[in-house]
Amino acid sequence: MAERIAITGVGQTYHKSKRKDVNAPELVTEAVEAALKDAQLTMKDIDFVVSGSFEMADGQYLPDMWILPEFGGVGKPGLKLQNAGTTGGVAAGAAFNYAASGMFNNVLCVTWQKMDEGQGAFGRGGGGLSEYWQSQIPMSPITNFARRTFAYLHNSGCTEEHFAITRVKQDQCALKNPYAQLKLNTTVEKVMESMALVWPIRYLHMCPSTAGAAAFIVSPENQAKKVTRKPVWVEDWFCAHVGGAFTMAEDPTLSTLRHGCEVVYKRNGITNVLKDIQAFEVYEPCSPAELRWMEEVGVCEDWTAWKLMEQGKVGIDKEIPFNPSGGVTATNPIGATPVIRIIEAALQIRDDAGEHQVPQTVNRALATAYGGQGENVIFLLRKSL
Amino acid sequence: MTDKAVKPVVIEADSISTFQVTVGATGTKFLVEIRDNKRIMGIKCSSCGKVYVPPRSHCPTCCVKMSEWVELSGKGTLTTYTVVRYKEPYQPKEPPIIYGVIQLDGADTGIYGILGEVEPDKVKIGMRFEPVFKDEREGSLLDIDHFRPSS
Amino acid sequence: MTTAEQKQEPEFIQYKYPRTQHYWHALGYQTRAVEGFKQGKIMATKCSKCGRAMVPPRIVCPECYVEVTEWVDQGQRGKLVAAFKIGYPMYDRRTGESQVWDKPVVAVQMEGGALLDGWCSETDLDKLKPGLLLEAVWRPEEERIGAYDDVLHWKPVEK
Repeated sequence: MAERIAITGVGQTYHKSKRKDVNAPELVTEAVEAALKDAQLTMKDIDFVVSGSFEMADGQYLPDMWILPEFGGVGKPGLKLQNAGTTGGVAAGAAFNYAASGMFNNVLCVTWQKMDEGQGAFGRGGGGLSEYWQSQIPMSPITNFARRTFAYLHNSGCTEEHFAITRVKQDQCALKNPYAQLKLNTTVEKVMESMALVWPIRYLHMCPSTAGAAAFIVSPENQAKKVTRKPVWVEDWFCAHVGGAFTMAEDPTLSTLRHGCEVVYKRNGITNVLKDIQAFEVYEPCSPAELRWMEEVGVCEDWTAWKLMEQGKVGIDKEIPFNPSGGVTATNPIGATPVIRIIEAALQIRDDAGEHQVPQTVNRALATAYGGQGENVIFLLRKSL
Repeated sequence: MTDKAVKPVVIEADSISTFQVTVGATGTKFLVEIRDNKRIMGIKCSSCGKVYVPPRSHCPTCCVKMSEWVELSGKGTLTTYTVVRYKEPYQPKEPPIIYGVIQLDGADTGIYGILGEVEPDKVKIGMRFEPVFKDEREGSLLDIDHFRPSS
Repeated sequence: MTTAEQKQEPEFIQYKYPRTQHYWHALGYQTRAVEGFKQGKIMATKCSKCGRAMVPPRIVCPECYVEVTEWVDQGQRGKLVAAFKIGYPMYDRRTGESQVWDKPVVAVQMEGGALLDGWCSETDLDKLKPGLLLEAVWRPEEERIGAYDDVLHWKPVEK
């Protein structure tokens, strides 16, 4: 039988666009040390290490060989996972599974990205095609979201201004998060005037490139209760992947987020999403995506999220506490981003988020990872089981 | 599905990305000392006392941050080597190249180096070597042009 | 040391390097589509169950999970589905450099049903509405390599 498991320590770096003062191993060690300090453990207590990054974005192949010795991860059983956007999601899921096996006391999950070292990520996100077919028409995450956003404008009846309102809300949340990278204090006008990268996606809609790392420690029930007074229980996780679409013209609303959420809601008896879940940390790589993701997660009906955003119902202390940390549009070290979502959701449950703490008691929080053209990993965390 | 009308082909092409690697503050100090002062520096762990060359910011066994720099003479003992006899575009010199691992006096780890001023069949493990620096140095491990036999 | 010198950012060494991945892509059954591009034809596989036409061709329909054996010439004309301009210098994986892309990218639904991406000769986005009829303008035969951009661009059909 699987053990019940809980997150006992979390840690992340202060995220920046460039970190010339540290190499990748040193950057990762900052997050590991923070997580160990949070759990009041040392590397001697760790008996399994799951590591992950988006290799292609950093240009470092087999990065674990270089990075794990820096923080003492060598010689321990472990697993290295390399995806793109969902890296942190599958790494966290693997860490949860290893902890639930009951074979390990303290499982460390560490993910990172040092995007000041490569320009690969923006060119390689076309997804789904072979290297040959993909190299012909330049596609990127930005072009992918352009077609989705184009469809959202068409289907929902909202205007470009609503994407700017969403960006301002995300920015206001990020201003309260000490770890967030972009703190722009921007306005609707500035967002709407910013350069159209690929219309309707504008410069200020898109997530930044970030150098950062994030880590957490997860343990089976008995050990978790010994380590911390504030365990964050892992209720469920689900990985929903589909094959990438061949061209941008294929279904622009394709996403596994709705399907994944339906599965975990059903398994855990969630019938009223907004009542049963008190904080959401959803991987939204650009501002318009947050609107669609709100609908797919189930906090509102299809094509209505922009109305809630316009009415100011979304925010840290609002009806819908969606991405109180500022989210991915403020901070995006790709490989580590899903783990940051889990960390932020855990901090909300522990009541440790500080200035961006949701005022109501958070008994359950949802975190997701997004990648490729429609892959999603969904996590449910609980205050008590 | 086999399609007998068309003979399958294999496409050959390149996919190119440009990256830049950050050495970090600790690595930069090491390379700058080589570039500006022809000096090889190690870093010492305050917990176990091991001296690492090239330096790293954390001791991998003790997991403590290291900050005590140690100046080394540069002389050391060959612990292993190999001879590369084929040619690749990224190799810094023409083959044959003797790659050696040299444990510098005062250090607990070995450092990679190209051995020079010695014939491949005359090299023996345990031989003593010293660094020969390039005249034009740019802050790279290749600023050490090669290691030559010493007393 | 003066105050101005103290404020200078300390030196941090970085190395810049291009990394070339040379690859061999076995086209297999896709060869027929590549040969088609070289001859100025857009060849797609068509699912016998749902009728979906696919470029680049797939051998199994992702929806119906049945083997796809029928090849259909998609014709030279198609309707515009979506169009956008890349407004920033985007990285080109064929050269490793960032590049400015002047022509808009269009998604075209061919007469035969297949969807594919290409460049458009019309640079005024306001004129590129969904449903606009487009026609393929091919590169000279000797320049074709068997790929999407053997279609130099898609040109709106004059009425």
